[in-house]
Amino acid sequence: MAENATAQERLFALRAQIARLEGKSLPALAAAEQAQAAENPECEKAKIKQLRLPFGIDPLDVALEGGLPLDGITEVRTRLMGDAGAASGFTFALVSHLKGREVSGGPVLWIGDAVSRQEAGAPYAPGLRQFGLKPHEVLYASPRKLDEALWLAETALASRALSATILEIRGNLKNFGLTESRRLNLRTKAAGRPLFLLRHAGEEEASSASFRFLTEPAPASGRRLPDGSVLGGSIGHPVFRLTLEKSRNPAPLSFLLEWNPHDRQFSLNSKAGEIFSFRTPPAHSGTGLPASADRPDRTPALGHIMAFERAS
Amino acid sequence: MRLTALDEVSERFGLRRGQGLAEARAMFPAIAVVDEDEAADQALIEAIADWCDRYTPLVALDGPDGLFLDITGCAHLFGGEEVLLKDILGRLFQMGFDVKGAISSSPGVSWAVCRFGHGGVISHDDIEKVLAPLPVNALRLDAAAVSSLHKLGLKRIGNLLSMPRAPLARRFGTGLLQRLDQVLGLNEEAISPRRPVAALSVERKLADPIQAEEHILQLTGQVAASLKPGLEARGVGGRVFELVLFRVDGRVFRVLVRASQPLRDPKRISSLFSERLTAVHDDLDAGFGFELLRLNVIEHELFKASQGDFTGDGHGDASFADFVDKVSARFGPNCLQIAELRQSHLPERAEDFMPAMAARVVGENVEEAFAFVPKVDRPLRLFRYPEPIEAFAATVPDGPPQRFRWRRIVHRVVRAEGPERISPEWWLDGKDAEERDYFRLESEAGRRFWIFREGRYKAGDAAPVWRVHGILA
Repeated sequence: MAENATAQERLFALRAQIARLEGKSLPALAAAEQAQAAENPECEKAKIKQLRLPFGIDPLDVALEGGLPLDGITEVRTRLMGDAGAASGFTFALVSHLKGREVSGGPVLWIGDAVSRQEAGAPYAPGLRQFGLKPHEVLYASPRKLDEALWLAETALASRALSATILEIRGNLKNFGLTESRRLNLRTKAAGRPLFLLRHAGEEEASSASFRFLTEPAPASGRRLPDGSVLGGSIGHPVFRLTLEKSRNPAPLSFLLEWNPHDRQFSLNSKAGEIFSFRTPPAHSGTGLPASADRPDRTPALGHIMAFERAS
Repeated sequence: MRLTALDEVSERFGLRRGQGLAEARAMFPAIAVVDEDEAADQALIEAIADWCDRYTPLVALDGPDGLFLDITGCAHLFGGEEVLLKDILGRLFQMGFDVKGAISSSPGVSWAVCRFGHGGVISHDDIEKVLAPLPVNALRLDAAAVSSLHKLGLKRIGNLLSMPRAPLARRFGTGLLQRLDQVLGLNEEAISPRRPVAALSVERKLADPIQAEEHILQLTGQVAASLKPGLEARGVGGRVFELVLFRVDGRVFRVLVRASQPLRDPKRISSLFSERLTAVHDDLDAGFGFELLRLNVIEHELFKASQGDFTGDGHGDASFADFVDKVSARFGPNCLQIAELRQSHLPERAEDFMPAMAARVVGENVEEAFAFVPKVDRPLRLFRYPEPIEAFAATVPDGPPQRFRWRRIVHRVVRAEGPERISPEWWLDGKDAEERDYFRLESEAGRRFWIFREGRYKAGDAAPVWRVHGILA
């Protein structure tokens, strides 16, 4: 009898450990939580709010189970170095969005990569300011080696003094594999601070990141005039073409996301010819599909057209 | 070539400094001659001076072959002046140096007694008695003064002491009298120490030398803990700390760490050293171990005590400062930087980077008030040096290009905004600097660039240069 009980206890302990590793609530407690949530939905929402960073777009937040994790790694990758602008823009937009939500919180740490700085330039304070991040809110670290960068990221997370950490790396590095990424993930879990991994010109690889976005550039939205119309030929708020490659959702999700730096808000950009859709990524990266709204149609570009604009 | 230094044996043979080498060889063909290396001599005397730091923080160099130690208030720590002198001379002798030393109430007397007498401890009352038989050279006079004193038959200091002062001053100037006053203790003479004196310093002598890094760190923590009452009594915290490690064989290592905030907490001080020691790991050769460890507070500032709260995790500022300190201790202060806006229209001059440690001192809102805020969008990433591009089919005179080639890739421009004209800063760039017309471009692929044309299209001249300066989100 007693043996049976000890075995049971061990089983529960192991289950609890697995649940913790997977980032779920404990199975035993889950039922109780659900019951509580049914009674008091506000409380449940507040709980999610603490650990998640919602985009404020309902279909997207549902797909992300409430938003990006604030105690985990989010990876943003590009296929080419040339897309660094879009990827950095999206990452800084996320951080700015995060800072907009939080009242307090420390500065943001940018751990840069020397080669990427040569290739795509260094973050520019006046530009960041227009993006919603004040100059004294961003710290720039320039480590010489990857080891130093990882140490910096780890220390930054452990100190809990920084509201977010951005780690910029280039390509798929041998010294930054699953082990290192798991280590960082454990740190984020312990500290409750997010880490954004910005990978330029990298392939998909196994990591502990909760979500991975493939970022590609997309035509910007036009500038809006006071009467609501769009000023033709103008370059307004940036738009990113994002593919959610890694998540708990089975199908990759692709969408165009617009960042409004003034309101610090994301919005779905469906005007540019592509709607929010679940789609398979193209077999080969062709030229971008959408034609800008204010111009006559061009000759159709190469590649598959997966979804058409809604007729009505 | 002349002899500049001699060892004991050759001195006994009767060779002198300043003697010609040929003459010496003629007298003693077997002598071994080594070229003089002034730099090495200097390094050696400085190393000995470093080693002497264990006795007093005030160590001054005296020419190429002497040291002054101000042991005011230090002698009792070593068991009195005689014991101290014996200890210094004994240890130096064991290292292989032939040293003479003297302790007296003024540097002048010690200098004279070391070089022209027998050394030892000289009490204040005996000064005249000890000095009287010494030659006048012992007063540190210049050669001309010495030779004119010799001409007058004034060969000993005793001769001068008994003379009236006024005629001496008239004949030899005030220099001689000043030297006399200095040796007699009537005129205070200051030595100039090599290193700044620490505001506070604690040390630990070890019976058994330590080698391992963790032992050093552990001891640092203990020593820092004994530093805390001193800092508290003054109401300050340390900004710059120095750990001095004296190796058994006389080598001295100094490890410096800086803190962005005044520090008192022993744990944080020792964690800073832990980062720093990791960084300097290869340079810190423990050899046979360290026998003396000292922690100095080089700079300190008023400490603002803050009350902790009950939750115990409300130390946001402290943990941030701790993070900055840790990184700066490990990778140097320039690894972590913070941007500041400057008042300039030129994009590359509109921002300036400074170490995060220094920036925390400056008020955060100052820049906000004075910074120039451009009305037009700026890029997210800026190239340090704008990269030249080939622009095709630009609208003359001041339109954007239709296509451009950058890093061997041709980008077709779909949309463009601009120009935004930025004039050069003639007070810095000179009269010939060209103005720039900036454009925001969007390529077919959706990439956005910030390019500019330097100068204008003019009839007859070469086409102006186009450059890409940044990347927009």
